[in-house]
Amino acid sequence: MKLAVVVQRYGADINGGAELHARYVAERLARHADVEVVTTCARDYVTWRNERPAGVEQVNGIPVRRFPVRHERDPHHFGRLSKRVFDETHSIADELAWLESEGPASPAMLDYVERAAATLDFVIVFSYRYYHAWHGARRVASKVVLVPTAERDPAVGLAIFAPMFRGVRAIMYNSYEERAMIQAAAHNGDVPGVVVGIGSEIPPTSDGTRFRKKFNIRRPFAIYVGRIDENKGCKELFEFFERYAATFPRGLDLVLVGSAIMRVPSHPRIHHLGFLDDRDKFDAIAASDLLIMPSYFESLSMVALEAWALGKPVLANGRCDVLKGQCIRSAAGLYYERYEEFAETLYSLESNGPLHARLGHNGREYFLRHYAFPVIERKYLDMFERLERENAAPRSRRPMEPLPGWFARRSRTVPPARDVLAGIPSGAVMPDRDARQQIPQPA
Amino acid sequence: MSDFSVRSDNVDVEQIMRQIRSRIREKRGVDYTEEEIRELANVKLEKFLDPRGVRSDLLEQFRRKREASLPPNFKFEDTTLFETHRGFLAFIRRMLRPILKLFFNPTPLIEALHIQSKLNAQQAALEPLYYEVIHNLVLETTRLGIEVKNLKMRVESMSSRLDFDERRARALEGVVQYRPGAVPPLQPPTGPGEERGGGENEQSDRRARRRRRRGRRRPDDRGPRPYAAEGAGGTKGAEGAEGAQGASQMPVESAPVTEGGHGAKEAAPEWTGDDGDSSGS
Repeated sequence: MKLAVVVQRYGADINGGAELHARYVAERLARHADVEVVTTCARDYVTWRNERPAGVEQVNGIPVRRFPVRHERDPHHFGRLSKRVFDETHSIADELAWLESEGPASPAMLDYVERAAATLDFVIVFSYRYYHAWHGARRVASKVVLVPTAERDPAVGLAIFAPMFRGVRAIMYNSYEERAMIQAAAHNGDVPGVVVGIGSEIPPTSDGTRFRKKFNIRRPFAIYVGRIDENKGCKELFEFFERYAATFPRGLDLVLVGSAIMRVPSHPRIHHLGFLDDRDKFDAIAASDLLIMPSYFESLSMVALEAWALGKPVLANGRCDVLKGQCIRSAAGLYYERYEEFAETLYSLESNGPLHARLGHNGREYFLRHYAFPVIERKYLDMFERLERENAAPRSRRPMEPLPGWFARRSRTVPPARDVLAGIPSGAVMPDRDARQQIPQPA
Repeated sequence: MSDFSVRSDNVDVEQIMRQIRSRIREKRGVDYTEEEIRELANVKLEKFLDPRGVRSDLLEQFRRKREASLPPNFKFEDTTLFETHRGFLAFIRRMLRPILKLFFNPTPLIEALHIQSKLNAQQAALEPLYYEVIHNLVLETTRLGIEVKNLKMRVESMSSRLDFDERRARALEGVVQYRPGAVPPLQPPTGPGEERGGGENEQSDRRARRRRRRGRRRPDDRGPRPYAAEGAGGTKGAEGAEGAQGASQMPVESAPVTEGGHGAKEAAPEWTGDDGDSSGS
């Protein structure tokens, strides 16, 4: 089997969620198929500046083919277009201009994918909202297996994406909530899809004592791992934690791991350690009492999965449907939506040993059952087998819908994406319970 | 604070969250969202939290009212009715005043208007004082409001700490271990017959305890000294010190042994993670 993984950035040093996800998928599927990664020369996801040489290189044994990006992103222009398509009635042409402005625009990469598609069995395309995914899906729709990595943000409501979700060959969802959202937005229930997510390279052993000694952390602590950013809910986390620390002078400390793009408050119980390598990161999680995930928008929190893999409960932001759903499904975490709930849940996890232990145990089981790499690989391979069977048997597959004509594209009749998103049902999805509710009960 | 008992392998996170929310509702009476509370606080406090704004606004309003609606006060004396700048006319009026008084008596009218004029002047003088008083009341109310808020926070904090301590104490009590050979807990006094009926071992234990007690006494101690600490003067206040010393001389085995020394969470054996590091130092 020959596969191509198409992703916006790629590299052993790139730790973005979707990019890391793509790397794990490529490296794992390489055990079962010939895998080539097709990507851009960019490293920075804001500017898409060409920073790596074009051509082929090996990354962890996988051939990676890089193509230059045609233009960098102009943040002001992109901001203006985002406001137009998200908040105003606009046209399809506006959305296409938004997509071009967002990038990474690399026509050479798309040309290559189109040429190579004839020799490939499937093309796994990551991150629906970027230029390469939309154009790539339209060019080789019959071979594209899309990994949307969609969060609940207004881009889901853009009109250009619904035909893409309906026209690709299959979709590998990260969570039940993501699937429900995309299916509500695009009405693509007939497209083969499965909730997969991704695992993580969990080291066989982790040493919390080593971490404590190295960073001189002596008190018990809760940990946050990720970019320290207002968009990730860190501002709210700091506000809540400072109030919590004032109420519980002997409670947990907060350790932050990750680069900061906002000010970290100076507080004796908040310790910012900056970016750590994988060993230190896993040791830090092992040394912690629990992981806090304050983000409002996640398609799949890999760090939450890592914490569960290490037997640590998670305290998540309940306004993020995905995190809330994962906490409920795994029975391995609690969630909060306001300070009172934050304080109560954190205190419960801190002080209730049996609850903490049970949630940690559930987390480990949940990870092994759903997110261990053999499980992930099996789901991908099963999907490929299913698609190959469908290839052999003639089937009425919906073709990719063409774009509207020149005048129709410029007609300003498309509703604001934010309004479309508001109409999409939200909330955690419980597949077992929902399925039970759908089964008619005997009288 | 919440206290959930986890007795089975199945943890229902939604059920726990429902319990947490109901507990929050019980505590706060009405379950306002954070946004609603902030909105209420802003509405209530916005007038009070900026005393300068309050003062300037009040004075400005006062001035505007005064200029716009209040006429200038009019001084009214007994001659006001007959005043004129023309001397001849004033003379004629004075000459004809007795004839005027044949028709009506103007004196009560003059007196009433005179008093009213005085009252107007007094009122005008009092108005700034009233505003000053109101302004000071607003300031004081603001201060008191803030103080009440702070006190509420302190009470909440102390209540939480108390709750924490109580639960910590409960958790510590739950893990107390009595090692074999430790001094057994105090028993209620038994009857003399039972005492006599004690076995050989009990007798020897008692003898041993008695020997230990004697052994602890100093050679020059001949008997207990009332109200005196060892080595201290015989003041009544030193009695407590003696008790404390006695407590420190308890056999080590009888002291409660916990699995960790870092609060309630270490006390619970399930608290630590598998790596055993999460319990802190």
